[in-house]
Amino acid sequence: MTSIARKNLFEDIPRFLVAQAGIMFAVSLVTIQVGVFNGFSRSTGILIDRSAADIWVSSSDMVNLELTIPIPASHLALAQQVEGVERAEALLLGAGIWRSSEGDITTVRLFGFDPDGQLFASFPVMDGSLSDLKQPYTVITDKSNLDSLDVRQVGDTASMGSLAVTLVGLTEDTQSITSSAYLFSSLENVKAIATGGRSANLNCRLQNGEFFCMNVFGESPDENPAPTPLSATDPVTHVLIKAEPGTDLQELKQRLQQSLPNTYAFTRGEMAKRTRAYWVQRTGVGFILGLGAVVGMIVGSVIVGQILYSSVADHLKEYATLKAMGVSNRVVYSIIIQQALWMGVLGYIPSLALCIGLGFWTFATQGIMILITPLTAAGILGLTVFMCVGSALFAVQKVTRVDPAIVFKS
Amino acid sequence: MTATPISFQVSLPESTAKVFSQGCETTLDAFRTAGKAIVARGVEMIYQSGSQRFHALKHINLEVNKGDIHLLMGPSGSGKTTLLSILGGILTPTDGGICLLGQDITRMSQSQLSKFRLKNIGFIFQEFNLFPALTALENVALALDVKGIKGRAAKREAMGLLEQVGLANKAKSLPRDLSGGQKQRVAIARALSGNPQIIMADEPTAALDSQSGHAVITLLRQLAKEENRTVVMVTHDPRIIDVADRVTYLEDGILQNNPTAIHHQKLA
Repeated sequence: MTSIARKNLFEDIPRFLVAQAGIMFAVSLVTIQVGVFNGFSRSTGILIDRSAADIWVSSSDMVNLELTIPIPASHLALAQQVEGVERAEALLLGAGIWRSSEGDITTVRLFGFDPDGQLFASFPVMDGSLSDLKQPYTVITDKSNLDSLDVRQVGDTASMGSLAVTLVGLTEDTQSITSSAYLFSSLENVKAIATGGRSANLNCRLQNGEFFCMNVFGESPDENPAPTPLSATDPVTHVLIKAEPGTDLQELKQRLQQSLPNTYAFTRGEMAKRTRAYWVQRTGVGFILGLGAVVGMIVGSVIVGQILYSSVADHLKEYATLKAMGVSNRVVYSIIIQQALWMGVLGYIPSLALCIGLGFWTFATQGIMILITPLTAAGILGLTVFMCVGSALFAVQKVTRVDPAIVFKS
Repeated sequence: MTATPISFQVSLPESTAKVFSQGCETTLDAFRTAGKAIVARGVEMIYQSGSQRFHALKHINLEVNKGDIHLLMGPSGSGKTTLLSILGGILTPTDGGICLLGQDITRMSQSQLSKFRLKNIGFIFQEFNLFPALTALENVALALDVKGIKGRAAKREAMGLLEQVGLANKAKSLPRDLSGGQKQRVAIARALSGNPQIIMADEPTAALDSQSGHAVITLLRQLAKEENRTVVMVTHDPRIIDVADRVTYLEDGILQNNPTAIHHQKLA
């Protein structure tokens, strides 16, 4: 009985191809929406995923990786004294305006870390190395940002405020598609760039037996003043923790929170989940992309339903002949369902290949990942089958109503 | 305008009532001994469309002997095809009873009726109703498949049936590549699949030229007589009378005469 379903489908090749184009459109629409959603969700937490930190310590007000309140750099030293901490490193986030050599500006997000550190930048650097960031006012960025930053290659320069900044390396798959272009640099560089090249002086005075200190910012007399190391009073954004082997992370989190006032500690997975949840749920992006996928499903169902209905209408006399012969409705339905399954599978395979190819292209050219995981692929196959079989029910209705006596009418 | 059968109360003649009050099961032996493949008693068919009622068949009593080729003839609209559909278990009569091979099909559920048709009746249609996407062999094999003969066995048996109808060399041809006569021979092979005892044919020569039509009828008679199959055939074609055992005339839904008498006149 398989052949009748398949052969009915292939009987009219042009019509079959048009039908498949319709299904491919629907399946591709759903796949791209889901893939973009996956890619979007993944990218928002990609830096967290790629870090080697076991625990991230942030302000207790932290909303996501980039939206948080600074904590004092002195927390770094405090963290290193907590039992079970093997290593602690600071991560400093800043923002700025990037002005290319052509004069075009764009907003950037700065990530400052220790180039000799082990916990944050565990991603590979192409055309350069992390140690190049020890040079003043050097940055690394994701290669997908070259166009938006209006730079061509390593060695190109731009300005941020009054400072001249040099691109010394490129990374891959380190950019969130929801955010401004990420620039990676040393803590010192980020501190200097974030303060716009202004110098800071710590003025302290003794009053009634107590020290009162104040950071005083001023324009630096130099064009590119030498960056200064972080001081204990400087802010940092997150403290990254490497736990000693065998340490219970949940217990370590508790100890860190107790030792570092006004902070909250997250495992790497919790931190990534929190950040993703913000972007997916609180921004409505997840809803929009999900809506797109649902629309794709509806469009697909309508297309498949229409095609199957018209195919059944064309072959109605054949189905009536089967019924007249005494073939049960169940068998007749199974032919239609098989036809729907063939359409679904034959539409799914090229669609998936197309979307995977498209995903490679968008990632290479735009840095936007259409992430199609094996689970996604399996899920979309299931959806496609569901969509096709569901649509076939309309056609089944038509066959159910057909009077086998029509076989005697010429 | 759609016409739908409606229920209709009718008083059966005493003899008819006697047969069907007992049911086919109790009269099975009687039918066998009488050699009847088909017995219809008091068959009525009324279509209702809105307030209009159309009495398509009026009190039909008919018997068809086993192994006979029995023609249903009459002008267009006389009710021949409706009667054939009822005798084949495709339409349910408004009233009356039908016994096929000793079983009262009017008492069967749709599911039972489908199984009965599948096992016992082969159909041949005026427009052949072959599956255009399937080859001649696959068309026949499909009929075997639905009757439970699958895979290679079905192919082998289908090829045997095509050989019987002289079309083994066209086994791989699609219906569009066959002549009308060849298509009807494939349809005959399909109707013979599963070895049904009754063949119902609706105007099997209407779409054929006279030579092809004659060849098809000759083949059908040969196949029917060789294996003692009963053939009920609706036709307008007077030339087919030559190969028939019995002829029944219908006009305005009424049986015009005794079919046996017609046969005897023909032979005389």
